[in-house]
Amino acid sequence: MKLYQGLYLIKESFKTLGRHKGIMFLSIVIMSLTLLVLAVFLLVTDNVLSALERTRQELSVYAYIEEGLTQNDIEQQYKKLLAMKEVESIVFISKAEAMTEFEEEFGEGSAILESLESNPLPASFRIALKDGYKEQSNIRLFAEQVTAVSGIENVDYGKEFLDRFSLMARVFLYVDMILGFIVVLSSVFIISNTVRLTILSRQKSIEILKLVGATNRFITTPFVLEGAFQGGLASLVSLALLALIYLVVVKMLPDIAFLDVQTSVLYVLTCIVLGSLGSFAALRRFLRL
Amino acid sequence: MEARHVIGMYHLSKRYEDRTVLTDVNLQVANGEFVFLVGPSGAGKSTLLRMIYMNESPTQGQVVVGSFVSSNMKRRQIPYLRRKIGVVFQDFKLLEDRDVFENVAIAMRVTGETNYEIKRRVMQVLTQVGLYHKRYDRPVKLSGGEQQRVAIARAVVNSPEILLADEPTGNLDPDVTAEILQLLFRINSSGTAVLMATHNHALVKNFGQRILHLRDGVIEEDRRVGPRRFSRERLDEISMTAGKSIWSDDGRADR
Repeated sequence: MKLYQGLYLIKESFKTLGRHKGIMFLSIVIMSLTLLVLAVFLLVTDNVLSALERTRQELSVYAYIEEGLTQNDIEQQYKKLLAMKEVESIVFISKAEAMTEFEEEFGEGSAILESLESNPLPASFRIALKDGYKEQSNIRLFAEQVTAVSGIENVDYGKEFLDRFSLMARVFLYVDMILGFIVVLSSVFIISNTVRLTILSRQKSIEILKLVGATNRFITTPFVLEGAFQGGLASLVSLALLALIYLVVVKMLPDIAFLDVQTSVLYVLTCIVLGSLGSFAALRRFLRL
Repeated sequence: MEARHVIGMYHLSKRYEDRTVLTDVNLQVANGEFVFLVGPSGAGKSTLLRMIYMNESPTQGQVVVGSFVSSNMKRRQIPYLRRKIGVVFQDFKLLEDRDVFENVAIAMRVTGETNYEIKRRVMQVLTQVGLYHKRYDRPVKLSGGEQQRVAIARAVVNSPEILLADEPTGNLDPDVTAEILQLLFRINSSGTAVLMATHNHALVKNFGQRILHLRDGVIEEDRRVGPRRFSRERLDEISMTAGKSIWSDDGRADR
């Protein structure tokens, strides 16, 4: 394509947006609302995923130490555990510290313990795991290994909670993927139909362009540029609407976070691509390319 | 030079599923020739023209336009063929959302001409069709005759070897019809081959140009009395003398 043609086509696409203000406005509104569904979906997914991730990060394994071990024994255990490939870091919690934590957590209820003569709480290691080893099956395997270390009385990793949590996370991911697929598919469907509307309104122009010897590229370029522009604008509008919804919802659920900058930029870029692809796909069928 | 053919149709047939539109058409149009294609509506005139700008492909036989041969054309070559042919229609086919200048310029934009060259040439052609002063008007503000002149300007702006006109006067009243015909004659006199389809035999029978009669998809008669193309002298003659009577009598005999 020659330079003059390229410049002309870019100018032409913006002129066309102006010439067909009504239909362009309408299609941007339709696209914005469609994309809003996608944006809400993204926001929910993003928040649930980061909540799941946070919970997973907080998972740690407690290894309770037998009573009556020497300082030396405990140091040996510590070294042995630290040498395991799954272990990120270990915090030693002495009997006294365990008591303090207990008191902090249960407040007045801890009076029951105070009535006892000696501290019944065992000393323990709180073991944080490396990122790759936080899956349910890995943790179970790791717990078995830790139990095998001499002088470890008991290992607790919240098995029941972890089982339920893993199941929930997996169910959520599946449902989310299916929903995401449906949302994206219906967005593409609605956008390409909206684009087809604008193409139909310019059917005569396309016919004339073909008549005077325009190549398919000459005909499609403005549509694709317009599609990109519409997609980009619609995504910004939908983000603005999402922000409004967010401001209302965040008052009730203060923990949720808005899409971060990276996700937002990615979202806008995706919408730009979606818009131009939608135009191209709709035209392709129309021009029988 | 006269012997060179700009359009050739060889044993050309066109069938749709339920009917045959053209049957074994053989036709050559020489460089610079003026040809009327006459026949009742439904005879296949439009289809025959569409074959030339390759909007339809033949069921049998082939079409040769300049260096383009229908039987081994690729789809993506069609735009380049169309740039060598100007086409004018009964319904003008103008871009309603652009002014007169852009409507003519678009035919050059698609070829990637420079803005300077486009401006120069479009102004020149608009002057020739007498619409220079209306170059910034939208088509809706123009009369039918003016719109057709814009369409003709667009058709010739790339200086094509061939001008196809499909019932170009079908929507126009008699004196405007005369204007448009004269414009086509003038274009022909400067060397462009013109093939004009019309159902109105009375309108064209007295010019002495070649007339092809098409009926039910068959060329029934191919007759020429005068020279192949309009000379400048002949053009003057028509507009000065015979013109008036031809227009006022036969132009109205459009029934």
